Amino acid sequence: MNRLIALLKREFWENKGAFRTTPLVIGGIYIVLALMFIITFNHFDNEFQSLKELARWVSQTDATLRGEIIYVANLALLPTLFNTVLSFVVFFYLLGSLYDDRKDRSILFWKSLPASDTLTLGSKLLSAMLVAPVIFWAIYVLTYIVIMAIFSAVVLTLGENPWTLFLGIGNPFKAWGMLLLSYLAQAIWTLPLYGWLMLVSSFAPRIPLLFAILPPVVIAILQIWIEFLQTFTLKKNLFGVIGEWFANSPFITFSVTDNEPALTLGIPLTDTFSHEVTVANMLDRLFSTQMLISLAVTAVFLGTALWLRRRATES
Amino acid sequence: MNNVIEARGLTKRYKRTVAVDNIDLEIPSGRIVGLIGPNGAGKTSALKAILGLATYEGELSVLGKNPSRDRAELMEDVCFIADVAVLPRWIRVWQLIELTEKIHPRFSREKCLQYLDSTKITLDHRVKQLSKGMVVQLHLAIVMAIDVKLLVLDEPTLGLDILFRKQFYTNLLNDYFDEERTIIITTHQVEEIEHILSDLIFIQDGRIALDCSMEEVQDSYVELIVTPDNAAAARELQPLYERELFGRHIFLYQSADREQLKNLGELHTPSVADLFVATMNGGAA
Repeated sequence: MNRLIALLKREFWENKGAFRTTPLVIGGIYIVLALMFIITFNHFDNEFQSLKELARWVSQTDATLRGEIIYVANLALLPTLFNTVLSFVVFFYLLGSLYDDRKDRSILFWKSLPASDTLTLGSKLLSAMLVAPVIFWAIYVLTYIVIMAIFSAVVLTLGENPWTLFLGIGNPFKAWGMLLLSYLAQAIWTLPLYGWLMLVSSFAPRIPLLFAILPPVVIAILQIWIEFLQTFTLKKNLFGVIGEWFANSPFITFSVTDNEPALTLGIPLTDTFSHEVTVANMLDRLFSTQMLISLAVTAVFLGTALWLRRRATES
Repeated sequence: MNNVIEARGLTKRYKRTVAVDNIDLEIPSGRIVGLIGPNGAGKTSALKAILGLATYEGELSVLGKNPSRDRAELMEDVCFIADVAVLPRWIRVWQLIELTEKIHPRFSREKCLQYLDSTKITLDHRVKQLSKGMVVQLHLAIVMAIDVKLLVLDEPTLGLDILFRKQFYTNLLNDYFDEERTIIITTHQVEEIEHILSDLIFIQDGRIALDCSMEEVQDSYVELIVTPDNAAAARELQPLYERELFGRHIFLYQSADREQLKNLGELHTPSVADLFVATMNGGAA
């Protein structure tokens, strides 16, 4: 256990920029934007003359509707940048996870420590599945709180009550809880991709990005070509499988379909799973046949990665 | 079990070449062994097998463990410095110490800090800010603070200046080595480690060309320096190797009659470097 914690620390120290600085910068940008909004509001050409008027207008809208809007914004709109950047961070982190130390030869030092390759691999997977998402989530929550505190202070000086206006409605804890659950559910759902990236990372002699992307592209193109030669029709190929799998991932999105704004779990391309944002639907995905197949695929990828890691010295 | 390393028929094949060819090896504890061979002779391949960093054929037992299967467990009792500059460049000294302390059960923080005190390295330095020599000092400070039974040094001083190299071996000998420990060193700078070695292993084309203790070297090998007049007579006595230096002929003999040789010229104990050259070119043992 001590060793695992030490190895997790090592991953965090090595990737501090990606894991901590990056979300802090995004949070900083959000806060600066919020301040800019407040400072420059009076200069905008709009229907409200001042923030005071805006606050009064808001206070007169329907509280239930306002609560719903705040909830959706907290759950699906504001975290968008965090979500997107997090997926990039995790992608590139895993791609380098078993490659970087082979490239700079520091693998020879890591292997001189009595930590097994399984534990090392586990610490890296855990960093991607748990450490990075939880840090991003915590910094998002912190950003939201700071922005709400700023807005509350402004609203108070305008003589309105921030509690009834936005603080006391919209159930932020539920939104944050759902967001965190969605991050963790996604991490499990996305395991085959994580496994694939670690496998590539463990064997790529150089440019792991190329090795990660090229094989699926080549396979899909071959499939499309062969399929087309045989039947002159286009059916499901690897792209389709990956696309559908990705669309079913339990991430929370806000989209407008048929002029109806809606919160959805994943992208509603197919009706294999319900796309309503509930914990039950997240669990439904994680306990599905698809997930079982995904886990089998992941096991093959990670097993091979571990096999290669045990034999790896330097690239 | 007294042998730290036991190998029977140790073989390492790469796709086309055989790097280590059916080696038998026994290294008892409390020795400082120089593993010496030309480039590509299979030194590093053999060491990688011993350290559990590579697969191999044959039987190999290090401290009673199977290195390819139990690397992590083995590393509690074995330390190695594989070449200079393998410490991760991003890491800070304090992070390195903390990680090693948490992962290695036999690491002593006090000892490590004590070694670092005598250097210019501070805890806040990143490895990439240190010079090559300082990185080696840091690595050595870490390794010397770990109480292990076997220490493997593969070209530990490559590319360092002579002051660092001398300091390195002095520290190793004075502060680290004792009868309980075994050290294996490979290096190209044979002259510098000659005086600290207790055993010598020459390796050539994946095979062991010579495996003996330094006392045996002194007992059985002798170098004879003669003037050209006596060269023909010396050649008669079946030397292993002959070379010329400043117009004088130097012959190397194994298990020769010293009394007989004395009459022809001056006798010396050969240096490891000379013995190495002779072995590689002529084939002793």
